[in-house]
Amino acid sequence: MSEADYNPLPVSPVDHSTETERYHVFVNLALVLAAITGIELVLVYLPFKTAFIFTVLVSLSLFKFVAVIAWFMHLIYDKLLLTLAFGTGLVIAAGTYTALLFLLSTDFVAPQEIPGSIPGL
Amino acid sequence: MSDSETHHEDEHKGLMIDNKKLLMWLFLGSDCMFFGTLISTHLIYRKLDPLSFEPTSMFSLELTSFSTFILLMSSFLMALAVSAMHKGQIKSFRRNTVGVVFFGLIFLACQVYEFTEFAHLGLTLESGTFGSTFYLMTGTHGVHVAIGVFWLICMLFYSYTGKMDAHDSAVDVEVAGLYWHFVDIVWIIIFTVVYLIEFIGKV
Repeated sequence: MSEADYNPLPVSPVDHSTETERYHVFVNLALVLAAITGIELVLVYLPFKTAFIFTVLVSLSLFKFVAVIAWFMHLIYDKLLLTLAFGTGLVIAAGTYTALLFLLSTDFVAPQEIPGSIPGL
Repeated sequence: MSDSETHHEDEHKGLMIDNKKLLMWLFLGSDCMFFGTLISTHLIYRKLDPLSFEPTSMFSLELTSFSTFILLMSSFLMALAVSAMHKGQIKSFRRNTVGVVFFGLIFLACQVYEFTEFAHLGLTLESGTFGSTFYLMTGTHGVHVAIGVFWLICMLFYSYTGKMDAHDSAVDVEVAGLYWHFVDIVWIIIFTVVYLIEFIGKV
């Protein structure tokens, strides 16, 4: 089959105009994501309080994370079940970190034994 | 029964979600747990195990920011490639996919360069928990990027066979796109919690 026979492909069930609308959303989002990355880079050089910079960095990072999932990955256009499927993994991942953080908090970890020393002495 | 009808048979009747897409989202959910564990391990050991060196002396914020920017833009091109496929514009799909592959390769080249620099500075897989958890986490991410690049190259070649059809191929491209975007979001997290946070109050 020559390329002319199948190019362009017949349109898929997704509406053509919807895709055009999404195109503009993607362009705007890409610009916002690039701008946020620039802001993050500048932020660490600014003489603000550590807690403030930390909070802003984490917030910006979460925004980028959610924005890519929602728009680039089409999750806001798709069924709720897909959000739940992914969200479950995300919650378990976040839970793992939180659990490890509490379990291995420095207050609860026994001091490391010195190699060659006799345990208990 | 035609291919299209067979495909619709494959779709989950009650939910009306394509099986491939559902499977990919479930895989991404499980991959989220996988990366969650790797990132958690790195962060926990970073907290527990004091380092004899300052990671900021090794990390290049400019290089990592550039890598992040490249990956974000590749995600944008991937979204355009998926959109083009939904519209049946195969040439546009190919153009955007070539861009994604190119950006993916740039990202991988940056990572190889970074790893080489770190190895020269003495940070190896054997140099303590920081080295092992850092390489395991970023290396696993790099492998994911490499798999994504390979997948997209295969799709590009497939697009020249003339076997692509509007519905099935659009779903296939979308599934590959989901994987690629996931690789991007994992890096968004790694960039902030592993690299950027180290620099707070130290530059």
